[in-house]
Amino acid sequence: MDLSKYRALFLEEAAEHLAELSRACLALEKDPANAEAIDLSFRMAHSIKGMAASLDYDPVTQVAHRLEDRMAVWRAQGRVDVPEGMRLLFHGLEGLERMVAGIRATGESPPLDGALLAQLAAPGAADGGGAKKA
Amino acid sequence: MKRVLIADDASFMRQMIRDIIEPEGFEVVGEASDGVEVVEKYKKLRPDVVMMDIVMPKRSGIDAVRAIKAEDAGARVVMCSALGQDALVSEALQAGARDFIVKPFKPDAVLSTLAKVVEKAE
Repeated sequence: MDLSKYRALFLEEAAEHLAELSRACLALEKDPANAEAIDLSFRMAHSIKGMAASLDYDPVTQVAHRLEDRMAVWRAQGRVDVPEGMRLLFHGLEGLERMVAGIRATGESPPLDGALLAQLAAPGAADGGGAKKA
Repeated sequence: MKRVLIADDASFMRQMIRDIIEPEGFEVVGEASDGVEVVEKYKKLRPDVVMMDIVMPKRSGIDAVRAIKAEDAGARVVMCSALGQDALVSEALQAGARDFIVKPFKPDAVLSTLAKVVEKAE
């Protein structure tokens, strides 16, 4: 399957998803228990993960996967932890924006951001969390 | 020609499925971008197979499977999941989904799953 034709579609849709994620983050900053914003953030991370995995953008996939895992925990508990959770959420968003901008600029998969992945790892995870290479 | 309804909130994924299955003789009769729309389109289009993401807005893929099966007990739904969603896949199968495929999509796996689901119904 020729994946190059999907790059433009990925960039367009990832930008839309990141804009939605950004709006959700701002809503959660005001109300960390905003269920709609938590669900939206989970779905945006999930969607970006699926698209990135399809194009072998592994660093994007890994960050989106860890953010999705984090969102799943916060969704289950009904609120984002403050202030640490919000800080992680914004870092994850910024990291994804940076990586997608890198793809737009170079056409290549961005470098792995190990520090960001470590930040997003689930607490207590021995190997840095459950973000398997998807 | 088997008629397929594709449901995923990402147009990227809908296009990818379409590109995999159309050259192999499947007709994509409709697309839906959320869990409410897919149920409405199922009632209207009566496709042979639905390919549906588990995570969707408005109504989850699992809820949508239940609604489609309530409408048509013989409906054939293939769930599209991602790594790490084993519990959701299991729930979807219990809700009545026939099978599942895992993202990122591998064309051979998509087509063999689709063929298996269609054959079982014939």
